[in-house]
Amino acid sequence: MTTVEVAPRTPEWLLRSEVGLCPCGCIGKRSNTGFVAKTLESATGLLHEAVFAEDVAHRPGMLQRTDVRVKLVVTFALLISVSLVRHMVALIAMYPIVLVIAALSKVSVSFFIKRVWLFVPIFTGIVVLPATLNVITAGRIVVPLGTWFGHRIGLTEQGLSSGGLIVARVALSISLVVLLTLTTPWNRLLAALRTLFVPKMFILVLGMAYRYLFHLLGSVSDMYTARKARTVNRDNNTRRGRAFVASTAGALFGKSHALSEEVHQAMVSRGFTGNPRALRSSSLRRYDIGVGAAGFLLVAITLVGDHAFG
Amino acid sequence: MHSDSAPLFAVHDVCYSYLGRFCALDGVTLRIEHGERVALLGANGCGKSTLLKLLDGLIFADQGSFCAFGEPVTEATLEDEQFNNGFRSRVGFVFQNSDAQVFSPSVREEVAFGPLNIGMSTEEANERVDDTLRMLEILDLADRAPYQLSGGQKKRVAIASVLAMNPDVLLFDEPTAALDPRTQQWLIELIIELNRSGKTIVLATHELDTLANLVDRCVVFAEDHTIAAIDIPERILDDRALLRATNLIHEHAHSHGGEFHEHEHDRTHHDALQHGIGREMRALMGEH
Amino acid sequence: MHIPDGYLSPATCGTLGAAMVPVWVTAGRRVKRVVKSRFVPLLAIGAAYCFLVMMFNVPIPDGTTAHAVGGVLVAVLLGPWAAVIAVTCALAIQALFFGDGGVLAFGANALNMAFIMPMVGYGVYRAIAGRAALTAPRRAVAAGIGGYVGLNVAALAAATEFGLQPTLFHTGNGTPLYSPYHLGQAIPAMMLAHLLVAGVVEAVLTTGVVTYLQRANQPLLAINRNGADPNNGGHRSSRFGWRWALVGLATMVVLTPLGLIAPGGAFGESAPGDLDLKKYHLDAVPSGLRHYAGFWHNAMFNGYDFANDKHPMFGYLISAITGVAALALMVVVGFVAARAIARYRRAGNAFDSGRLVS
Repeated sequence: MTTVEVAPRTPEWLLRSEVGLCPCGCIGKRSNTGFVAKTLESATGLLHEAVFAEDVAHRPGMLQRTDVRVKLVVTFALLISVSLVRHMVALIAMYPIVLVIAALSKVSVSFFIKRVWLFVPIFTGIVVLPATLNVITAGRIVVPLGTWFGHRIGLTEQGLSSGGLIVARVALSISLVVLLTLTTPWNRLLAALRTLFVPKMFILVLGMAYRYLFHLLGSVSDMYTARKARTVNRDNNTRRGRAFVASTAGALFGKSHALSEEVHQAMVSRGFTGNPRALRSSSLRRYDIGVGAAGFLLVAITLVGDHAFG
Repeated sequence: MHSDSAPLFAVHDVCYSYLGRFCALDGVTLRIEHGERVALLGANGCGKSTLLKLLDGLIFADQGSFCAFGEPVTEATLEDEQFNNGFRSRVGFVFQNSDAQVFSPSVREEVAFGPLNIGMSTEEANERVDDTLRMLEILDLADRAPYQLSGGQKKRVAIASVLAMNPDVLLFDEPTAALDPRTQQWLIELIIELNRSGKTIVLATHELDTLANLVDRCVVFAEDHTIAAIDIPERILDDRALLRATNLIHEHAHSHGGEFHEHEHDRTHHDALQHGIGREMRALMGEH
Repeated sequence: MHIPDGYLSPATCGTLGAAMVPVWVTAGRRVKRVVKSRFVPLLAIGAAYCFLVMMFNVPIPDGTTAHAVGGVLVAVLLGPWAAVIAVTCALAIQALFFGDGGVLAFGANALNMAFIMPMVGYGVYRAIAGRAALTAPRRAVAAGIGGYVGLNVAALAAATEFGLQPTLFHTGNGTPLYSPYHLGQAIPAMMLAHLLVAGVVEAVLTTGVVTYLQRANQPLLAINRNGADPNNGGHRSSRFGWRWALVGLATMVVLTPLGLIAPGGAFGESAPGDLDLKKYHLDAVPSGLRHYAGFWHNAMFNGYDFANDKHPMFGYLISAITGVAALALMVVVGFVAARAIARYRRAGNAFDSGRLVS
């Protein structure tokens, strides 16, 4: 038997076990998670949501059975009508209808409400809030808040109704789009877009981008986990976080490029010469036309109703 | 474009280097006949994948020639639509990285991609998709998105997408890498079955375990990107010196009950872990 | 910087969307012709990449978040027209799948982030990078500055679109129908966040990635120099593209005041009883405008009362034109700078490319 050198290249310190945890327990400083961690958490959440959405999209519900082209056109028309409406009342009246459609499409109503209303107050609410003050929107003060350097400060009637209108409109618009995407698998949505008006090149890129989004997201999480696993001390240093983001982004682009080369070869290997071809969609059924008609009726009612309010 | 006397593939004295700098193939000469099962053996980065890509008309030799079905395959000849369609439908390539190969938004579209590209009608392509998915027992995945699939399922979809074009030749790059044992076994049986139905199989691997009953002939690559040997698997597997020289097996030290001893080891287990985006690509990207 | 649905009037959305159509057509054609099929997966990756970059939200002091776009980086790496497609696709995923990017406002978002941003940013990048070698630090810095300027010009465009809303669309008692902030409020609020935070992030990110690639992945940097960049293509094709871009801009300039003002009259109705038509001197509206307003009125929303606001329409027509013209001018300046540099560089191309490969 020959003499075997176990670890000629392994440094001595690597073979020694390190004292990891302080024996007296958790008395170290707690660290706050930085923006990198938060963003990654939200990214992971997004991934779950996407998987969940696909799950909903395969349930036997009202919208799931509807042709995607009809859904797209009706959603678009409804979005325009929501955007044209000038009375909050009309929007508030429309919301229960949307909720009923969601329920008929086997979307959990509480999830649906949460999905929309957790987002709206944070983004739209904060943006719109200052506009209710007379400083921004001039008008009749209905809720006086005091004086500042001799000027009266308060919420104006115009500001409040404008703010309410915008919040309601944003919420309803998002509800409509969320309802569409929750009940439609992404690939069907793309196929429908292709038959409507979007050029094939965009559809092809869009489909692949969505496909690789999940792949890249996985890579980022892996890189972050790898980094976190190597980080011993508290690490919420923003500058280091930024450096990590920049180098991650760079490495990611490099990886992605290599991947895209392979994807291209895989496409060429199967006869791709630059002209995307796709499976044709089926024709509309009576059910689809019915749903479409109902949708446009809703659009008409909304606009007429809004007009009736003055 | 087919003449019976000509070999399926004839590679003559081919040299290829990435970006004119990183040599990947050096003076490679090889003939592959109809109906053969050939394994390309070699350590990481020795040029196996590059040769497969050359055989699939994805890259072109800097020097030397490559003929398929008796016709030269070059960038210029592939620009001819008819030749391109013919060549693409007769040669199928299953990539090592299924993520690269499964790029469509749904399994159905993925499998239909090839048939549609070579000019099949939608109805015909749809039929092909159903048949292929049924054959590979993944018909229930047809409307799923690729990111919802497991590694093994992705591999099946990748194979389905190639089989749907009904190619004469199937090129596999590391077919069993990163697959669970059951999927590995399924794939090996599938390859043998495909060969029995008349398809030529060329696969790149460094798995020595299953080689003997999988292929008729082995082409061993040396680490200097040349061909070190071509022979039947039994003789290749017995030539420990050759395998050691080409880094397919290595001396490995173990400790059993405090006592050290030495024996030879396949690279199987180590390298199975090292899957991922093409290594040659990474070399090219300068990340080494 | 994403504008959700509900902040912009449908007229504004329609106008900006229509202005983007020729841009998209051009981008599609150029990318398809110049770079062939090889570019498709790369574009997809670029789009996925932009989407991820947009998700990296950075908190800003007032409680909201700002984010980088990555549009200029993609323009630097793959060329500005490729960036148009990549960012458009990223925005489409954002809008459709995640529901908070704005479906009606898609044209507006695309104009800001997928067109103005990469074009301006790329122009600045080319102007500063000059003939520096591929690995020169100057090139990385130029990309960063391009990112900073591009993002901020895009933010300015978004703020302008916001800021015009309350002036153009409100009810008789002054209740804004869409975004409530005037130009004077929207621009500072938007620009503060982008000049101080998001722009810096974009610059750091762009410089960081280019520096990283200079060190680790030069072939990737060379893509935009090896014929993939439409600007390095033939002279003739290059001119074709610019012409289309200018057509897009011209459409925008022509349509914007028309689209913004005319329906503004039709939709900018007042609450009943509050409004005395004569008090708001309807007569002040130029006859041409009244004609357009009447057209909209008749064609689309019969039964809606035509009313006007108390401010003279002309001022807003002019401000709308000025705003759009200013944006157009910025883009054109970017174009011209990029073209001039491209022409200058073509002269010394042989020298330059020799340096690249080594």
